[in-house]
Amino acid sequence: MIEVKDIKKKFGRKQVLNGVSFTANKGEITCLIGINGVGKTTILNAIMALTPVNSGEILLDGQKVTKQSFEKITFIPDAITMIPQMTIAEAMEFMDDYYDSWNQNRATELLGFFKLKQEDKISSLSKGNTAKVNLLLGLALDVDYILMDEPFSGIDIFSREQIADVFTSHLIEGRGVIITTHEISDIEHLIDKVVLLDEGIVLKEFNSEEVRESEGKSVVDVMREVYKA
Amino acid sequence: MMRYFKLVNFELGRFFKLYGVIIGITILSQLVGLWVVSNSYMERANYAMFEENLSPAQFVSDNGEMSLLVLTRTLWFLGPIALGAIALLFNIFFVWYRDWFGKNTFIYRLLMLPTARINVYLAKATSILLMVLGLVAIQIVLLPVESVLLKWLVTRDFRLDLAPAEVVSGFRELMIILPAGIIDFILAYGAGIMVIFILFTAILFERSYRIKGIVFGAIYVALATGIFLSPIILEGIIGTNYLYPMELLVLEIILGLIVSAASIWVANYLLTKRITV
Repeated sequence: MIEVKDIKKKFGRKQVLNGVSFTANKGEITCLIGINGVGKTTILNAIMALTPVNSGEILLDGQKVTKQSFEKITFIPDAITMIPQMTIAEAMEFMDDYYDSWNQNRATELLGFFKLKQEDKISSLSKGNTAKVNLLLGLALDVDYILMDEPFSGIDIFSREQIADVFTSHLIEGRGVIITTHEISDIEHLIDKVVLLDEGIVLKEFNSEEVRESEGKSVVDVMREVYKA
Repeated sequence: MMRYFKLVNFELGRFFKLYGVIIGITILSQLVGLWVVSNSYMERANYAMFEENLSPAQFVSDNGEMSLLVLTRTLWFLGPIALGAIALLFNIFFVWYRDWFGKNTFIYRLLMLPTARINVYLAKATSILLMVLGLVAIQIVLLPVESVLLKWLVTRDFRLDLAPAEVVSGFRELMIILPAGIIDFILAYGAGIMVIFILFTAILFERSYRIKGIVFGAIYVALATGIFLSPIILEGIIGTNYLYPMELLVLEIILGLIVSAASIWVANYLLTKRITV
């Protein structure tokens, strides 16, 4: 389980996170929703120790994030995390070199799934295909938790569909996923848990299936209620 | 440890093309320079002998002998050395900032590797040191080669044959790059490594605190330099040489080690607790 406990973060004078708390379980897809600039990316960066928080605590299976954690959790940011001059094959070789959790069979499977050519240079790829490479590099790690920052932003409809298909496949099954988005429509039917953020705080944290069953509301209905209130 | 070595190899690979160009320019410039300088010398010598009826001895007495020392004072020789020095100095900053800026955000990957983040810092420093040593090694090989070439290009009467060590000791600036003894070598390169550590740590201050970090980084550089040079500064203030040269040397080595260790320690803190992508 990923536990985010009362984290606060300031950028200069701006209080971006003002006591954010939520949990994300293994085997579930948790979606952080909020408008741009609400601090979604900052939360993911903080979980990965890529930016410090002013106060609060983040635990991964009850432990603080250390170098060993990176064999257990991975982050797929919205920009490519490899050198653009590398080919996809070189990028995979790099990952294999450094991560014990790298699963080459799964990487090969993902290459086929996304219809990517491993001899292609990353810099020569379209935005959609670059996003797919980024996803491949994260998903091919045998980790328990995956964080994804806006995986659908700025890419074409077919690539979005392909990426959305990943969520229903065995590639995600059994893992804990935190995904951020400001466009819920692509994945509304896939998510288990929703965390609604605004002005640095969690407005509401709910289980989408439960709300659907008990109140007959979709995620968008709840969002409308919360954000318009 | 294995991941540190892999990172060193990786960092070297990333700069390799540009490094190859610098090596190519160094070799080409020095060899072409030797040919140009020697030919121009011999042309002048021939002109003096055939047109002005001077004997070789008279020409040498007026113009001096042709030796590798003449080459070392030309832009042909100094240019590529300066180019290499500037490129590697530039690389101290480039080696970090290229991972943050531009199309890629490779720093995410580097900071998410399942290894201590200080290994990234040490690997980047090691790669720069190895590249410096590589350029020095090429210079060490080039000097005897140039010595042989000089024998082909300039006849015995006009030539002063110098051993590579004599060329180096005849040229003060070159002695910093190619120190004469092992102690000098350790001192020159030890100080160089310390400077890399100090600058890397200052860069990490900037990357951690951004605009405020520039101030912190500048203060850190001033503080580290001040500590390292404190015995010399104090002697300057007192106005006497309070310490024997050997005592001063030992004190400087100790202070250099302290400043380097402190830089690594602070960098480790910044990389694990303060860094922001």
